[in-house]
Amino acid sequence: MASTPQVATGGAAVPSATADARTAAPRRLVRAALLAVPLLALALWTAIPFLVTISVSLKTRGEVFGNFGLLPHNPTLNAYREVIADPAFRRAFLNSVVIGVGTSLLTLTLAVPAAYAFARMRFRGRHLILLFVLLPRLVPDVGTMVPLYKMAAAANLIDNPLSLIIAYSGMLLPLAVWLMAGFFQQIPVEIEESASVDGATLWQRIRYLVLPLAAPAMITVFVLAVREAWNEFTLVLVLTSSAEGRTLPYALFLMGHGGISNYPASAAFALITLVPFLLVYTRIERHVVASLTSGSSK
Amino acid sequence: MPATVERVRRKRGRRPAVGDTGALAAIGQSKATPYLFSTPAIVAITAVLAFPVLYGVWQGFYRPEVLGAPAEWVGLQNYVDTFSDPDFSNALYRTAIYAVSSMLLATALGLFFSFALYRAIGRARFLRSVTLAPYLISSVAAAVMFRILFNGQFGLINVALAWIGIDGPDWFADPTWAMAVVVFTQVWTDLPLTILLLLGGLMTIDRSYLDAALVDGARGWQRARHVMIPMLTPQLLISTIWLSYSTVTGLGIVLPLTGGGPQGSTNTLAMEIYLTAFQELNFHEGLAIATFVIVLNAMLTLTYIRVARRYESAV
Repeated sequence: MASTPQVATGGAAVPSATADARTAAPRRLVRAALLAVPLLALALWTAIPFLVTISVSLKTRGEVFGNFGLLPHNPTLNAYREVIADPAFRRAFLNSVVIGVGTSLLTLTLAVPAAYAFARMRFRGRHLILLFVLLPRLVPDVGTMVPLYKMAAAANLIDNPLSLIIAYSGMLLPLAVWLMAGFFQQIPVEIEESASVDGATLWQRIRYLVLPLAAPAMITVFVLAVREAWNEFTLVLVLTSSAEGRTLPYALFLMGHGGISNYPASAAFALITLVPFLLVYTRIERHVVASLTSGSSK
Repeated sequence: MPATVERVRRKRGRRPAVGDTGALAAIGQSKATPYLFSTPAIVAITAVLAFPVLYGVWQGFYRPEVLGAPAEWVGLQNYVDTFSDPDFSNALYRTAIYAVSSMLLATALGLFFSFALYRAIGRARFLRSVTLAPYLISSVAAAVMFRILFNGQFGLINVALAWIGIDGPDWFADPTWAMAVVVFTQVWTDLPLTILLLLGGLMTIDRSYLDAALVDGARGWQRARHVMIPMLTPQLLISTIWLSYSTVTGLGIVLPLTGGGPQGSTNTLAMEIYLTAFQELNFHEGLAIATFVIVLNAMLTLTYIRVARRYESAV
């Protein structure tokens, strides 16, 4: 992290190195501190809310109000057991997984062909169509929550995971198409041209050349889609009405607002919901970096 | 200094926009192919974004059916009702406070921390990925964490304040402090994105121009002020658009954190849409407010772009 930085002492100092030695050491310390203090502040800023939540999740309900310190006297996992045993949590977890997978698959299926068309083909009206695809990025979810609720209610899709999968995919598409089209364009056209000279069809070129090369972009879209389904709150609030359909954020929200607050359980719930995604993300982040650096075009 | 900026900007070059295609001369495709390819995405976007917005705008001109009487066209009546509602003007005022404070705080902290990370480049990799965590968790989880952190009885903030002899407020019961906590939580969740954007911008700045400014005698702060910040204009613009969007239209932090209270002190426009439509069940007036928010957000976005353009051409 904020290890001791190797500050260059400046080239001019070389001849009079011995004379400078006395002043250089404190100056180096000051420089290191100037660098380390903001980084330490950033680490604390990020970590403290998590640490406080972990601390509360390991206490009993009574101890929360008796021991204000960060370290619990008798750390217990009871809050976690309580949450995991809760059928509402289990159902919400399952729903979140189903909707996350569904959203990422649907988003990729819809985004890949459109992005390919925008990146590789000339056709009449493409700028207008592109604008139509990208502009809705500006539409806020509170702007569509009432109409989407009306539509889902009319189609009898309230509490049906399909309504959320479709809604999330549609919301993600502008960004997904933009990202993928940008990525497709960076793949040299010549690769595809020589393949088609060798007799590869459009389908074969996309399947065996473009998609493998575009893996980092597809993984990015996958992460964005899972993140949306896992974290989204505004639409799940109006498109579901019972425990059957709710995802984790909604179930967590209800927990904090159902009468007497059970702080350890709320804290444990919050932490359990963020762990799977952080695990997926850290695994995949490495993969994204690796696939980006391994030189895809020779 | 301006000359330096101009030179750097020219040197940095531009990535090809998605608009200009590296045309792959129609191999293995018919004239219909591109349309076939883009149709599924267009249908989905129409169904989930375009149609709902238009439907919402249209329905905002209707009065709901009452006691079997059919829905009726009432023109701008819903808007008149909305704009004369004190709850609406309160929400507009609260949203302005929320948005402006969040933007100022997040931009200031974002610049500070991204400069710090930039100077520590290569050494703070772990910290950089940890920094992203608040952006990856759900707003409801963040709200739960900050309700614990700022709890009036046992929250760490008040415990720490008591330790230095200050009697901390009951954050969620006090109108002013509740808004402060909302802003703080918002900034906490959005800061990673701001830092990431600004850090990305800093990385593209050619070091030789910073060295040139150094030779010209510019000290650290002057280099930041006159060379680096102007060259970060595109990233600052995107971050401002995002912060404005998430505060003017966002429900995810406010609802689970304060529910709009106490006494409506954190009742933002997004909350007002939700309460009007789903608590008072007045869908049509909710749609009028939603339309207002969509237009407001679009106008603000255009304004930021304009200001950034003018600033860029003025430097």
